[in-house]
Amino acid sequence: MSDHTSSHDPAGHGDPAGHGDHAHGGLGKYLVVFAVLCFLTTMSFFTYSAAWPWRDQPQVGWAFMMAVSCMKALLVVLFFMHVWWEANWKYVLTIPAAMMAVFLVIMLVPDIGMRNRMVSQERALHMARPADLLLLEKAADAGRVDPAAH
Amino acid sequence: MSSPAISVPHGHDNDHGHGHDDGHHGHIHLQYQPSLPLSRGKLIMWLFLSTEIMFFAALLGSYVVLRFGAAVWPKPHHVHLSEPLGAFNTFVLICSSVTIVLAFEATKVNKASLARLWMIATLVLGSLFLGIKGYEYQAKFSHGIFPWAPHGLIHERPDLYYGSAVRARLGEPAIIDRLKTLDETPAENLPAEQRAARSALQDVRRMLSDTNQQAFEMAVVADQIAPLPAEGPSGHGGGHAHGINDAFPWLRLPIVIPGGNMWASTYFLLTGFHAIHVIVGLIVFAVLLTFKLGSARAGMVENAGLYWHFVDLVWIFLFPVMYLF
Repeated sequence: MSDHTSSHDPAGHGDPAGHGDHAHGGLGKYLVVFAVLCFLTTMSFFTYSAAWPWRDQPQVGWAFMMAVSCMKALLVVLFFMHVWWEANWKYVLTIPAAMMAVFLVIMLVPDIGMRNRMVSQERALHMARPADLLLLEKAADAGRVDPAAH
Repeated sequence: MSSPAISVPHGHDNDHGHGHDDGHHGHIHLQYQPSLPLSRGKLIMWLFLSTEIMFFAALLGSYVVLRFGAAVWPKPHHVHLSEPLGAFNTFVLICSSVTIVLAFEATKVNKASLARLWMIATLVLGSLFLGIKGYEYQAKFSHGIFPWAPHGLIHERPDLYYGSAVRARLGEPAIIDRLKTLDETPAENLPAEQRAARSALQDVRRMLSDTNQQAFEMAVVADQIAPLPAEGPSGHGGGHAHGINDAFPWLRLPIVIPGGNMWASTYFLLTGFHAIHVIVGLIVFAVLLTFKLGSARAGMVENAGLYWHFVDLVWIFLFPVMYLF
């Protein structure tokens, strides 16, 4: 904190350990992270393209995209938000928040995720069901085969 | 804040004499240790961001739980989502993350005008993101997909309730008048698409007046009014079928998208909250641009950047969950 304080942080912004601004950052590093992020975005977009081999198993695509998203998020947090170079306080804030986020989602599952396990007869009557989608697809097929039928 | 916790007897007073060759004579070298090694502004920003993590985790989590708990959920092409546009928006936000981080780097080394340029670039990219988002919203609105009742045209199933809703719309006085003029228009005065749609509309009206309606007929009616676009790699364009509603936008007949109402609620809520965050970020950048972005403002630029990266982060999860699931 002795010799390079004068260059920045006049308001006494604490970086007491002299977190060495020359040690991190830099255009090159950011461009590498940027390139990796672009590549990963293309990868998650790839699941949508016709070349994706698991089109009949959407779960594979979902898992793949979540993995890609987590990697992208990690890159942004670590390098763009400089968390990689921060002191240990970063764990105090991020780990509890991340845990609370996971708990929150788990708590939603019984009431909302499983809401369709037990619905009243009346509600079931007005709810969309997979059969409705099939019916619409059939109607579309009928229209396509013979457009002048009706 | 800056007084040391421990005072050492021979510390400060006779420091000038040999301050520069510290360590030599067994002096205790004092180092200031704040309780947390970060500035107040940054601490508050990170506390705020951790509440934001929970805020968006709740929204995204609810979306995922609602989506996988639903009996039917519309496919992205059913609700006119354009995956390439979403991917492009992701790219735009990633670029803006890079530009704001470069603005911060320039601020740290006191290159105010360079920092200003990077910040303007961030502002432009953020506005581009919002513009594309607005265009996407417009595409939803034009297809009758709204999150709220009087504008939303979505019905869940092609049932008798749907049929009566279409009938009720066709029976509105203003619509009756326009239908009359449409019926009386000679066929050669109409473009080919509208001519086909007009005969489809006449079929639909005949089917609706039939007293012995079948479920399949209602599905045909729904398909004639607004067919669910088929999946196509070109997304919006390729698989887009045209129905009566597309040929005559003034008709605004009820449409059927199974699971569409819940989809619209979650889509507009999540992307809407994200868009609000983008707008707030843009306002912050606009305010920052009124300052000279020298090293004195490094803390402010860093905090604004942290916020902006968080906005990017949310989109990184929103994009696959909304557009590709």
